[in-house]
Amino acid sequence: MAYMSMGEAHRRITDYLNHFSDAVYDQDAASLKLILSLSSNSPSQLSLADALNIFQDANRLIKQSDKHSQFGEIVVPLFRSLQNYRLGNLVDAYNAYEKAANAFIQEFRNWDSAWALEALYVIAYEIRVLAERADRELASGGKSPEKLKGAGSFLMKVFGVLAGKGPKRVGALYVTCQLFKIYFKLGTVHLCRSVIRSIETVRDFEEFPKRDKVTYMYYTGRLDVFNENFSAADHKLSYALTHCNPQSEANIRMILKYLIPVKLSIGILPQDCLLQKYNLVEYRNVVLALRRGDLRLLRTALEEHEDRFLRSGVYLVLEKLELQVYQRLLKKIYIIQKQRDPSRAHQMKLEVIVRALKWLKIDMDLDEVECIVAILIYKNLVKGYFAHKSKVVVLSKQDPFPKLNAENADSHSLAKGHYEAH
Amino acid sequence: MERDPRRRGHRPLPSSSSSSGRTVIPDSRSNFVPSRRSHGEAWNRNASSFHSRGRSSRNPPPGSANSDGRDPSGTVSGLEEAAEESSGDVPSLVGTCPFMCPASEMAQRERLRDLAVFERLHGNPKKTSPDLAVKKFCRTISTKDVKSSDVRPLSVLENTLDYLLNLMDSSGEPFEVVHDFIFDRTRSIRQDLSMQNIVDRKAISMFEKMVKFHVISHHKLQFSSEGTHHLEVSSSHHLNMEQLAKTLTSLYHLYELNRVPDSAFENEPEFRSLYVLLCLNYESPMKGESLALWFRHVPASVIRSKEMIFARTVLRCFRFGNYKRFLDTVAAEASFLQFCILESHINEVRALAVSCINSSGYKLHPFSLANLSSLLMMKESEAESFCNACGLEISIDNHGNKMLPTKQSTFSRPKAGFGNYGFLCPGRTDK
Repeated sequence: MAYMSMGEAHRRITDYLNHFSDAVYDQDAASLKLILSLSSNSPSQLSLADALNIFQDANRLIKQSDKHSQFGEIVVPLFRSLQNYRLGNLVDAYNAYEKAANAFIQEFRNWDSAWALEALYVIAYEIRVLAERADRELASGGKSPEKLKGAGSFLMKVFGVLAGKGPKRVGALYVTCQLFKIYFKLGTVHLCRSVIRSIETVRDFEEFPKRDKVTYMYYTGRLDVFNENFSAADHKLSYALTHCNPQSEANIRMILKYLIPVKLSIGILPQDCLLQKYNLVEYRNVVLALRRGDLRLLRTALEEHEDRFLRSGVYLVLEKLELQVYQRLLKKIYIIQKQRDPSRAHQMKLEVIVRALKWLKIDMDLDEVECIVAILIYKNLVKGYFAHKSKVVVLSKQDPFPKLNAENADSHSLAKGHYEAH
Repeated sequence: MERDPRRRGHRPLPSSSSSSGRTVIPDSRSNFVPSRRSHGEAWNRNASSFHSRGRSSRNPPPGSANSDGRDPSGTVSGLEEAAEESSGDVPSLVGTCPFMCPASEMAQRERLRDLAVFERLHGNPKKTSPDLAVKKFCRTISTKDVKSSDVRPLSVLENTLDYLLNLMDSSGEPFEVVHDFIFDRTRSIRQDLSMQNIVDRKAISMFEKMVKFHVISHHKLQFSSEGTHHLEVSSSHHLNMEQLAKTLTSLYHLYELNRVPDSAFENEPEFRSLYVLLCLNYESPMKGESLALWFRHVPASVIRSKEMIFARTVLRCFRFGNYKRFLDTVAAEASFLQFCILESHINEVRALAVSCINSSGYKLHPFSLANLSSLLMMKESEAESFCNACGLEISIDNHGNKMLPTKQSTFSRPKAGFGNYGFLCPGRTDK
């Protein structure tokens, strides 16, 4: 803690108080947001905190002046929060900040225009971040972490304040995104539903700020991946990717991590350079297996990264790719047969498939191969029929291996042209 | 305002080996938080000297499998029920009732002639005895008003549970009647457990038994007693499924609360696998979380267990449509409990197989019924009636063999569901 004289401390505190009141009177959100941020660890905030700890009687200063006392409900706990933050008492810092934030929201409600939204954003962010740190403090002290949950409840209230009609509504999406981050972290993902429903009632989604739309689409896209709604997931994650800041590689990587499995399941494969560029190497062998029809490679790739895939929730999506791998395998056999004897290529002995699988070190009997062929035909991945007695698959002469999803067969211009149709 | 546990004379437990902040977050729906005891402390088996400090003993396990410290499954449902019904900040009780049913309730129900068939002494609807009466589940309890003499301590609850489960096999009553009785009385057991905040390994053992009861009931209630072709899912079946899901969720929560590093719960893999198998349903009774999210919370050792691998294989085959491997795997590896859950899906998969074969098979090569029935793991006669139920005809070839001709246009899944077909697996006799 820096050394400061009493007079100096007094001066800093009154300076801050003036800044605060002036910012509100002048409707200067840019200034206001700077002085509401704790986690930015700005030098002025830190020295203010020092000043408070030295002076010890800031409350008197606040009450003394009419100009400042009207914001007393906000500033008094804010000071307490800052002091505690400086001393490393994160739980107390959070509790006080929540009080201050609450008082701020009450004032915010009464302000007609949406001038203070930027400041509100800072508050929403700080609430979440401070709560996370407070929970870490609780956990390491052997207590039950509950602050992040409380932050979630608080932000729901804030959401409610913003969600009505009027200019303040634009802020609702930012708060929604903070809520998403909280719910995902806590694992209480089902709580996202109610905010999503509210946002969906907004007629003009485009009026929200771009940054918030991207984040929103990213999280709701992820939810669609968990629930295996692939076309919705594709739409949302692609939106996020297209509108994401191209400089922000970390964000692009996060979006791709979920978009790639979705694309794979509709038969669209990324080029290897894309995977390399964004360090998504866990998908390399999966993609390779799809290209080659190599069932064994798919299985080992899933096993190798099982923990990672399970944790991100894409494991089940990737497992489903087996169908496509089988299709690819059969297609390759067909191509080879066509080269040897075009007139007989459309007849494929089940034995041949068994042998191909054996070559891939996969043991499968004729009955199971027949079953798989039957399913592929049933699901329209293969056109033809199987002759049970002669143990042969008879492929249709026209387009025996239809593309997975006709609408998505066209290459997308996303990801800077790194995708190709399978 | 922070509650300082030290003021109540209760020292916070030392957080031993793993101090990386792995803790359990209480669910806001439950009014009281399950307490946890450190694995270093000897479990106090005697319920009457077990004093929990209620909400102040909010100490996390020294090691939780969930590294994010999340509460994986929500509330413990028995706890949840009691918590919903209890109001406010009441420290948990210590029960002292020595019988399966509190004396006051016994007397009252005798007066009101509210005795179940199992509780009647020599069939007398007005008389019961401490050996027969079992405390009923009471929805409207507020723990403020509950007397400790009305609550059964752990040892009594354990005995009560064993008594109830014995009725499953020994009673002469029709199963629905037995089921309803045990259903209600085990709910009351869960209520007593949660009012006393008992969440240790003994609770785990009891919850495992109760889940097993619901799973077996699921199996037995599938086909109601109105004959094997009455296929509507009865309301008992539905309610049982609901309670199964709730109890299973509570069990998972208990596993999390009691988890210590380097030790495992013997039955956890099997009970976790049931969740995966329940998700084969299009509308999973396990509400709230998708399977993808659920896997995130399961400890790695459980994921790699034989039982979980079985369940995941079965799930994969089911989703892929690989009916052969599905049926083969179930036949070879399913435990009894797993089979009970899978039963309803077996017929679905069989229908898929028949449908596939019918639509993809060459018209001039009908499938022999013998082949089909071994593929579907059914007796030939049942395979035939199964095909008929799906709208397909069996014909006879020149040599007198029964065959399923393909490309029949009349296939349809039976609207009223499937009947009760056996499962014939070569080499296993426990079905």
